[in-house]
Amino acid sequence: MSIYLLIFLLVDVFIIGALMPLIFRHAYAHFWPEKHEQDKPHMTAAVRERLLHDSEVKYQKVLDHSVDVLERDLDKSAEQINSLVTRFAGVIVGDEMERYRAELSKLHKQAEADMSGIKQEIVGHQAEIEAKYKEELELERQRLISQIDTKLGDAVGSFLIETLQHNVDLGNQADYLVAMLEEHKQDFIKEVAGGDAKPAK
Amino acid sequence: MLNLQNNIYSPQDLKALIMEVRRYGRWFAQTSVKTHVTGTASKEPLAISEAAVALIREVAEQQPLSQKVIDELIKSLEALEAASPRITITLAAVPGNKLKKVLVEWCRKNIDSSILVDFRFNATILGGMVVQYGSHVYDWSFRRQILAARGKFPGVLRNV
Repeated sequence: MSIYLLIFLLVDVFIIGALMPLIFRHAYAHFWPEKHEQDKPHMTAAVRERLLHDSEVKYQKVLDHSVDVLERDLDKSAEQINSLVTRFAGVIVGDEMERYRAELSKLHKQAEADMSGIKQEIVGHQAEIEAKYKEELELERQRLISQIDTKLGDAVGSFLIETLQHNVDLGNQADYLVAMLEEHKQDFIKEVAGGDAKPAK
Repeated sequence: MLNLQNNIYSPQDLKALIMEVRRYGRWFAQTSVKTHVTGTASKEPLAISEAAVALIREVAEQQPLSQKVIDELIKSLEALEAASPRITITLAAVPGNKLKKVLVEWCRKNIDSSILVDFRFNATILGGMVVQYGSHVYDWSFRRQILAARGKFPGVLRNV
């Protein structure tokens, strides 16, 4: 051990020995303080009563004022809350209504589209039925016309044959005309001879 | 007495024939004078119808052709035009030459050899013919026969 270290230790022991009494004194004063005379109350009961009463009055005033302020704030807050609630409710209801309208519009459009499709289908079906009906009608008409033409042709042919008697050829009437002349030849001869031939009517 | 060819059947045909023979007569006279004066025959024959040529040729075969003969021919034709009986036949359409020939042949064979036939047409008679001869009218048209028998048509229609 060096001499210096020894000296340093001896000095430390000295300093610690000087500081210890101070530490004890201050610890004692701190944990067990001495009572002084000026800390004791020096007012009377009346003063104290009046001070208490004044304090109560002031406290009551402050309290009343605080209550008023609080009530006003509360009313104001309630109004604001009501206003906000109303506004929020309006916004919510508006949004809901808008959503409801949009949904309704969408459904309406969808229904219209569906109805339009149905209408188109109905129209198409109707047109198809009409076309079919017309076609059938036309076929039936043509059949009837053909039947009538045939019948009428037969009737006219029969009538003409029965009426004209001779085997008349409507395309080449020469034979028919000569036959008619032959039939009335005597009338012509009588006419040439100046007789009273009766014309065959 | 002249015998008319069957292609000269109507009064108009006969009138045209007379005019052509007259024209031929004038041409014949002029040509005769020219031949007599110049001594050369005309090389250009007169353009006339075949019927007129046939008639003049027929006359020329019987006797030599002269102005007098031609004048007599014209007179005969005019007499024929005045004296020939006439018949009017109305048909439903314009008759063809074949039909005309058949009817004219029949009339000349059975009624009179010089008869003149006037053909007319009227579509409303539908068919058959209407013959007018002298004061008589013979209606053999289809229209008259059909109208006369129109009461039978419903019966015929029912039977079809």
